[in-house]
Amino acid sequence: MAALFMKKPSTAELDAYYPVRSECQDGIPKTRFKLRAGKTLSARRWHAAFSEDGHLDIEKVLRRIQRGGVHPSIKGVVLEFLLGCYDPNSTFEERNILRQRRREQYVTWKAECQKMVPVIGTGKFITSPIITDDGQQIEDTTKGSKRDNGVMSTSSQDSEKKVIQWKLFLHQIGLDVVRTDRALVFYESESNQAKLWTVLSVYAWMDNDIGYVQGMNDICSPMVILLDNEEDAFWCFERAMRRLRENFRCSASSIGVQTQLGTLSQIIKAIDPKLHQHLEDLDGGEYLFAFRMLMVLFRREFSFVDSLYLWELMWAMEYNPTIFSLYEGPGGATDASAEPKVDEKLLKQCGKFERNNRKTGSAEQHHNALAVFLVASVLKTKNKQLLKEAKGLDDVVKILGDTTGNLDARKACTEALRIHKKYLSKTQKP
Amino acid sequence: MGSSTKGVNGNYDYSFKILLIGDSGVGKSSILLSFISNSVQDLSPTIGVDFKIKQLAVGGKRLKLTIWDTAGQERFGTLISSYYRGAHGIIFVYDVTRRETFTNLLEIWAKEVDLYSTNKDCIKILVGNKVDKDKEREVTREEGMAFAQEHKCLFLECSAKTRENVQQCFKDLVLKILAVPGLLENGSIVVKRQILKQKQVYNAPRVGGCCS
Repeated sequence: MAALFMKKPSTAELDAYYPVRSECQDGIPKTRFKLRAGKTLSARRWHAAFSEDGHLDIEKVLRRIQRGGVHPSIKGVVLEFLLGCYDPNSTFEERNILRQRRREQYVTWKAECQKMVPVIGTGKFITSPIITDDGQQIEDTTKGSKRDNGVMSTSSQDSEKKVIQWKLFLHQIGLDVVRTDRALVFYESESNQAKLWTVLSVYAWMDNDIGYVQGMNDICSPMVILLDNEEDAFWCFERAMRRLRENFRCSASSIGVQTQLGTLSQIIKAIDPKLHQHLEDLDGGEYLFAFRMLMVLFRREFSFVDSLYLWELMWAMEYNPTIFSLYEGPGGATDASAEPKVDEKLLKQCGKFERNNRKTGSAEQHHNALAVFLVASVLKTKNKQLLKEAKGLDDVVKILGDTTGNLDARKACTEALRIHKKYLSKTQKP
Repeated sequence: MGSSTKGVNGNYDYSFKILLIGDSGVGKSSILLSFISNSVQDLSPTIGVDFKIKQLAVGGKRLKLTIWDTAGQERFGTLISSYYRGAHGIIFVYDVTRRETFTNLLEIWAKEVDLYSTNKDCIKILVGNKVDKDKEREVTREEGMAFAQEHKCLFLECSAKTRENVQQCFKDLVLKILAVPGLLENGSIVVKRQILKQKQVYNAPRVGGCCS
């Protein structure tokens, strides 16, 4: 009954959770997400979904999220479960112990970094290089700016390649941090910028295979905003990266996301051969125009609130109950494709997308991200315009660019699920 | 399918492809935004490659400029290099308040371009951005000019923030492109090929049903 009286805030009130600087109001996409009583997961519903000792009824929670997203007051804690930081099938106490252990682990990594670059953890950060490509320290002789806050390394022997590599990332992270979500009041504070910088820097150290690639800042920023505690924000980001890190893998000849672009090409070829042919004729068969959408999960096509809504929907739909043990287990797999089949009960605890995968047994063959189908759905909705008006790749990008601020996250997800089903049925045929 | 006037393109005599190249945070996207929309605002880092289109008339010719904006992080280099092909003009941008962005142009970006661009006659312009922050300047105008002379580039200093010289950068570049017959030919060929391609698409037999 209480739901009937739930106040229906306007999008303006919703945006007030993540206030935008007054001078930036014009430059950002409009928010379309609305809190919907009886559909959006409210704080009350969320708390009621836990048993006395802390077991979470994930099935119930997922159903809500997939229908109407998550109330801003609980977005951070919900995200932790969706991304597999914690097992819904554990007690409050078990999770507290785990949280404590994780925080300590982060503090250890951070201390390692701090030893090499003392500015880490001081609430300041750097935007200028501290080291040259061949590992020489850069002496700051030009001006007394941010960078002489004890930036210089305490150890003179930084010959190790890993250390040099990492140090080369730090100013790039800084340059990006000062340009991340600049419209939000949150990042007017230097200490909040430093928080984002530190989390990304520690991550780059911990995952030196990937290090730092532009775009990771867009993924990390919401975690830093939603979770007050820096350690917790780090782990939430780390779990998100488990899904996304392959996209950021750079080699001499390619960037990881191109694998997903290849999948996208296959999908369009299967469900809309005419459109695929047209794109190929325009020299767009590589689908590079969808690069950014996949790289930063549509952050640039949506307002801040709407991209959070989209992520919740996506990650709820992709959810599978074994994700926690999978990430936590030995070797820490980064891909959900290697696990055994789940039984009926577990199937119910999967999100819609994952359930479809499992029903057709396709999860074992290849694990395609929902995001790829989302791009397919965007292309599909623009199908007519693309076929008729696009006479060059530039037109394609322009037509797709017009989707900024005009996409409805839930509709796009629904359409993506439909395309996914269609694709599965086409590719499953004997 | 007759309504070609509704197309995104409109009409033009020449279509030129222009690239913006340079380190992270030097203001490539800001210069582009300032040129396209006369507006100034804080921008997020460019992911991969982005671009904008501007149509304008210069010397009685209607031009369509497709300006590709690139990410500054070197790691995107492999992706960006595939866009160098067939560029008519390249704008090398550095930040006059950060010396390393200037030296990197010489050490990294100029080499990349030499390696990947196919248009031998391609026009280059060196642009030093952020002259509004004159107090923090680390690269002098003379150094910029010397670099430009050595690499046979045009040269300008500008500010995307105050919009000083921004239009001029593009105007200088385009005028020079128009003065090179080899490039002009190229510019109109692009148009012809697009038209040709489009015809092929429409004349192609309809592909029905699924392809599996």
